[in-house]
Amino acid sequence: MATIASSYNPREIDNTADIPGRRAPLITGNQTYKSVTEMVCRVAEDPQPKIWWLLFGFSSLTALMFVSLIGFLIYKGVGIWGNMNPVFWAWPIVNFVFWVGIGHAGTLISAILFLFRQNWRTSINRAAEAMTIFAVICAAIYPGIHVGRAWLAFWLLPYPSLNLWMWPQFRSPLLWDVFAVGTYASTSLVFWYMGMIPDLATYRDRSKSPLRRMIYGLLCLGWSGSSRHWLVYEKAYTLLAALATPLVLSVHTVVSFDFAVSQLPGWHTTIFPPYFVAGAIFSGFGMVVTLLVPMRAVYKLENLITLRHLDNMNKIILATGSLVGLAYATEFFMAWYSQNQYESFTFINRAFGPYWWAYWIMVTCNVISPQLFWFKTMRTNPLAMWIISIFVNIGMWFERFVITVTSLSRDFLPSSWGYYRPTMYDGLMFFGSFGVFMTLYLLFCKFLPTIAISEVKGVMSSSAHSEHLQAELLGHGHAGEHGSHGTGSHH
Amino acid sequence: MSEPKPRKSSEPKAPRSFGWMAEFSDEHALLDAAKKVRDSGYTRTDAFTPFPVHGIDEALGIKPTILPFIVLCAGLTGLCTALLMQWWMNGVDYPYLISGKPLGISPAAIPVSFELTILFSAFTSVFGMIFLNGLPRFSNPVFTNPKFDRATNDKFFLYVDARDRYYNRESVRELLGATHPESLDEVIEDSTPASIPKPILLGALLLVLAGLIPAMIVLNMRAGFSDLPRWHVWFDMDFQPKKKPQQTTTVFADGRTMRPQVTGTVARGQYTEQDPFYLGWDPSKLSAMEGSNPILVSYQDGAPQSSPTQSSTPMADGGSAPAPKLPFITQLPIEADEEHMKLGKAKYEIYCSACHGYSGFGDGLVATRAQALQQDTWTAPTSLHAGRVQIQPVGQIFHTITNGQGKMAPYATALTPKERWAVVLYVKALQRSRNASIEDVPVEERTKLTPAP
Repeated sequence: MATIASSYNPREIDNTADIPGRRAPLITGNQTYKSVTEMVCRVAEDPQPKIWWLLFGFSSLTALMFVSLIGFLIYKGVGIWGNMNPVFWAWPIVNFVFWVGIGHAGTLISAILFLFRQNWRTSINRAAEAMTIFAVICAAIYPGIHVGRAWLAFWLLPYPSLNLWMWPQFRSPLLWDVFAVGTYASTSLVFWYMGMIPDLATYRDRSKSPLRRMIYGLLCLGWSGSSRHWLVYEKAYTLLAALATPLVLSVHTVVSFDFAVSQLPGWHTTIFPPYFVAGAIFSGFGMVVTLLVPMRAVYKLENLITLRHLDNMNKIILATGSLVGLAYATEFFMAWYSQNQYESFTFINRAFGPYWWAYWIMVTCNVISPQLFWFKTMRTNPLAMWIISIFVNIGMWFERFVITVTSLSRDFLPSSWGYYRPTMYDGLMFFGSFGVFMTLYLLFCKFLPTIAISEVKGVMSSSAHSEHLQAELLGHGHAGEHGSHGTGSHH
Repeated sequence: MSEPKPRKSSEPKAPRSFGWMAEFSDEHALLDAAKKVRDSGYTRTDAFTPFPVHGIDEALGIKPTILPFIVLCAGLTGLCTALLMQWWMNGVDYPYLISGKPLGISPAAIPVSFELTILFSAFTSVFGMIFLNGLPRFSNPVFTNPKFDRATNDKFFLYVDARDRYYNRESVRELLGATHPESLDEVIEDSTPASIPKPILLGALLLVLAGLIPAMIVLNMRAGFSDLPRWHVWFDMDFQPKKKPQQTTTVFADGRTMRPQVTGTVARGQYTEQDPFYLGWDPSKLSAMEGSNPILVSYQDGAPQSSPTQSSTPMADGGSAPAPKLPFITQLPIEADEEHMKLGKAKYEIYCSACHGYSGFGDGLVATRAQALQQDTWTAPTSLHAGRVQIQPVGQIFHTITNGQGKMAPYATALTPKERWAVVLYVKALQRSRNASIEDVPVEERTKLTPAP
């Protein structure tokens, strides 16, 4: 059996080369089932590195600040924000859409790539799903505290009211949003949890302390790995993937309806649903790269989250970034082609009006920076892709800012125009939401399986992805003696 | 979970055997062994693997699951729930007409219906999987062997259950041994089975019951009736931080929450309250009046109805409360011409003469009849020729007609202000006619008069 020492190869192995007729290996370093288990479990079992404690300390303090600011907001009222006539949908909604958009990558990777049989998803889906859950939590906070009387946010739900004797308005996109985000959050949560059950059992069986064993035992519901259980489990997983695929596309569609169903120029367009979904996938993958590049370095997971995984994700970022660029261009074309003076004004105002800086930050980050991914050297350089992914995150935040604020600040009536200025609380709370996100993510790394161990083993056993063959065909010498179960030479 | 509880059927000395477990180090060996076991006729078999091994279902003869059918039913339930909910809530129970859109189900119902379909299906997939697999199951005989910990790591186990129809301890051992496993162990019962302690179970039960209390309160409130104010968790808008008209405040120097009008404003409905034509007195001269607050006095005295004690006491002059002290106007605001005189006469004879009489002596038909009946509740109408009435300014007579006096009802609703002034004109003419001297008659007419008999 290979030990960690021999299975971990700190040198980046380039598995991005394609050989016609062959599939590239999904994981590198001649892994065995045992070495995969140990590599992943080590993340939670070993003491966390210093950088973890530093980040955790910082982000938990930031999260604490966020919670305190929410308390202050509830005490003082939404007047502490910069929301002011005519821009009443300002940063809170921008941040909501930003976080919900980020939350799209996880389920996309788990569900859509599963249905497309993209086996490379197995190394990244767990972390991406966790990221989805935490991003949706951050997103859900914003409408909750934006409603003014946050303690009455439950009025959004269709419950038998004792006092009002009335029901919500089901023809309002804002209510669709409640259902869409609520369904997405809860479905993603059970999807994530169900995927973790076998891995939690692995954690349980490796636990030394009885308390840890009991907690993981409870969490994995006493999973034994029975083949009869696996049969039902796999069926449930496939069903969930098939259900989550239209769901993930519907969520940002419904979020875009919040804007598109209104009458405001710049919002009232039919391109919004596909445009928002493309942007959501774009921003979600951006955030996955932002998180996974440092994570694989810190936890030495380069053999599981290989360059090929990052390469694939960067290709998706390039594709969706270009789609978003196409959407920007289409909006301008429609503004001209419709010959609608309000529509034309809105888009000229976006690019050259008082918020020109936001618009051009958006275009630079979202359309121009991903174009660097046409070059393979950029797609396979962790530092370069990390920087570009940060730009993508910034750009996608500005996209929501541009859509929300420029349209609201200058609508049909010039006498009601205004210029939006955020306050200190807007900025601190947005920053604080990152604290919540990072705190949850770091806790996830410490306590839960960061990589879908059983799924990685499942694709290892398939003879399609043979590292030996790849190495031989490429003429590399790093293929070991044996130990991989993916040789296909058995029997 | 259908298996019998091992603890109850166990014998004290020999630990009960649950079957045999063979360990393999890769899935291909497991598949080969599983096929052999299946071909030998065993059906109560299972394999334990770190990941779903392809082909194991066939190798062990595991039947497909009915989970997809359950999920389909759940999805349809979700769809129907969403459609019914939207139809009933927005179309029936609380019809929500907005922008002329159709009530109940319309294309706008699609998003919520879609989301609930997914929600029901997804939760059924997960919880259906957990239920069909008999999870959670924390006490499992296979967990007793420490080797089994690697079933979630890198080892593959094949298990033949002792409850199989053809189970024979020795022959199963022989069969599994022939597949060259890494190890072969008998699964024995857990001597110290893990179970949830009773106090925790009891506590959980109590928590669940306590959790039902709020729901029961809500149900009780919805079904029952109460005279008490509604019980609130959140005081929706019942108690607002606001001031009501008669309260005090520290915001304004005068301490009153009600603010005086800005000088020169005339509020809606206030126009007639400013004009002597509608009042009979001049509000602008009010501050010059002496004595107590004249407005208060006017409101009290001018009240249309007097109290029962007053009305039950007959008064000689027919009056009751003292006349209001207001800056009454002394000049008629209308022309004293023939047209107005005729109007005043007509209205006087319709409305006033029944009590006051055609000539104003308080001898109208109603008064005469009441006196004939000797009703002690009757207050005789005032004679318009009494001295205190004669000296009243025109404004006061108008005020009396408008607001009433003593037992007399107000006539503001019956007569327009102009008609009331015309009646005042006519009353003044009556008074003059009944108390005239020869000087009132034009000189050239005096000769036509004959002395009274």
